[in-house]
Amino acid sequence: MITRNLNDNCWLPHLGKISSIDNLGPEIKLLRVHLANGNGHSNEEFQPGQFAFISAFGVGEAPFGIASILTDDGSLEFAIQRLGNVTTALHELAVGDLIGVRGPLGNSFPMEKLEDKNLVVIGGGIGGAPLRPVIQYVNNNRNKFGELTILWAARSPSHLMFREDYESWRNIPNTNLHLTVDQPDDEWDGHVGLITELLDQVNPSSKNAIAITCGPPVMIFYADKLLSELGFSPDNRYVTLEARMHCGIGKCGRCNIGEKLVCVDGPVFSMDEVENFLEGYF
Amino acid sequence: MNYIRQEDLHNWLADIGEEYRLTAPVEKDGVILYEPIQSLDEIVWDFEKPVNSIKEIFFPQTEILMELQISGNGSDEIKEVIPTEKNILLNVRPCDAHGLNCLDAMFLDDSPPDVYYAARRQNSVVMGLSCSHMGESCFCTSVGGSPGDTVGMDVMLSKYEEGFLVELLTPIGEALFSDLPVTEQVIEVESPFEKGLFPVPNEEILKKSFDSELWGMQAERCISCRICAYVCPTCRCFDIRDEVVGGSNGTKQANRIRCWDSCASEAYRRIAGGHNPRASKIERLRNRVLCKLYYYPQQYGMLSCVGCGRCIDACPVGMDITEIMSVLVEGPA
Repeated sequence: MITRNLNDNCWLPHLGKISSIDNLGPEIKLLRVHLANGNGHSNEEFQPGQFAFISAFGVGEAPFGIASILTDDGSLEFAIQRLGNVTTALHELAVGDLIGVRGPLGNSFPMEKLEDKNLVVIGGGIGGAPLRPVIQYVNNNRNKFGELTILWAARSPSHLMFREDYESWRNIPNTNLHLTVDQPDDEWDGHVGLITELLDQVNPSSKNAIAITCGPPVMIFYADKLLSELGFSPDNRYVTLEARMHCGIGKCGRCNIGEKLVCVDGPVFSMDEVENFLEGYF
Repeated sequence: MNYIRQEDLHNWLADIGEEYRLTAPVEKDGVILYEPIQSLDEIVWDFEKPVNSIKEIFFPQTEILMELQISGNGSDEIKEVIPTEKNILLNVRPCDAHGLNCLDAMFLDDSPPDVYYAARRQNSVVMGLSCSHMGESCFCTSVGGSPGDTVGMDVMLSKYEEGFLVELLTPIGEALFSDLPVTEQVIEVESPFEKGLFPVPNEEILKKSFDSELWGMQAERCISCRICAYVCPTCRCFDIRDEVVGGSNGTKQANRIRCWDSCASEAYRRIAGGHNPRASKIERLRNRVLCKLYYYPQQYGMLSCVGCGRCIDACPVGMDITEIMSVLVEGPA
């Protein structure tokens, strides 16, 4: 998408047409976007873990992790929770409306380096969105990876992200999906409690395994601590970090954690990198 | 050394001013500011340093990046607004030109380049004026600069008798000044007065300082007003948002604007869910100082403090980065 040479304006978004909108949960929508301008742009160029700035024209733009790898029609998907001005404006858009897409930005999960490993994927709330492409990637390249363990958490059953995917995830060979919610409703018969309790119970082996975590900072902090206790070494624990940012290309200065910029040095980091940051992410 | 009489320089500027917009230090309500000038008579030649830095010519307080035409029927349009104005910046102090060199490292040299900054930089000639002395708050010599530093300039003038010595530093400077009526003279130049040095903490001291009580003691009086960032020649944090400016018949016109921001603001690092890793002003002051002395050098290979002392002059509560540097190196007094 953005080819980086001197003549290009790195601030100029591509126009994307909203092709479908699904409700993922309370105040959370999944926008499917077909890029309208440019030739041959597809999310093939997006790697799991990368993000893009999405514009609601007339309000502004904000960064979102890409929530899907290649879809059948070459569209991109973004999970958007209504929290501020931009996300509120994006929630008011309808199918056929145009948005701006500036990306792909940031680094990605080192999928090739993770080959032959057992993967433990831990997602909390909307933090599950950038992990969904990891699960899809493993599914598409199933024989390249070992056991896949997914731990998925949310504050309530209706907040669990991508519920329509669970059946297909469970059908991926050698895969286990574990769900938990903080607050059950009347119909919930699954695990109740924090993701750390679920992680403790599932007790995944750290042998030849890599853990990937994304969620609210407090969840990452405690889940990561527990992973460490379970024997996952820092270089086998990956996180994708969230920071407020306005550019995604190392200019606006906003997303620094000490000497690192989440937008260009991340958002994916291994914990041995994070532990060496001068400033804490939490 | 080339020499030009003030009167000849004035006449030359009058000619060139028809092609270029001239920006120079001017006096406004008793305050010296870099501002675009209408008349050469406005130019101030004898001054210490303007209150603002020259960065705002290249990275304005607020600028329009794009004009947006929002129709809501799937035919929205985006129009880039790339600056085209040609600028000559006169009497730029060495610390300010040095600051441009810092901004270049991030806006230009680090990929992808920022087209707005690049366009202004490419259309500008920086004509510096060396300092005859260091002001009370100046400490450029402590951070790699000097009153005669030419980094970031195309041309440097130095006051000499009834005119100026002229150093042509870049091909742009040479080309522009090819018709300048200069005379070659052998001139002995007196070194400008330089103050004693403030100690600059090294990497090891800075890393060790992270959990120091110093930050809490220093930040106690900070009121998070952000003036230090706004007058700084190298502070470059910004925000981008859209501003609706008009519209009719269901069509909206908006500008995508960029404006200055500062890491001293409370909401600066707060993320959507409300988590704020830098909620206290202690953490924010530490971030600003470490950005200048440690983070920017790690990211772009140079200090992002040029020793102009503007943050010291402007601070309403008397915070002083040289005091912080001294305490870091020598311990509390």
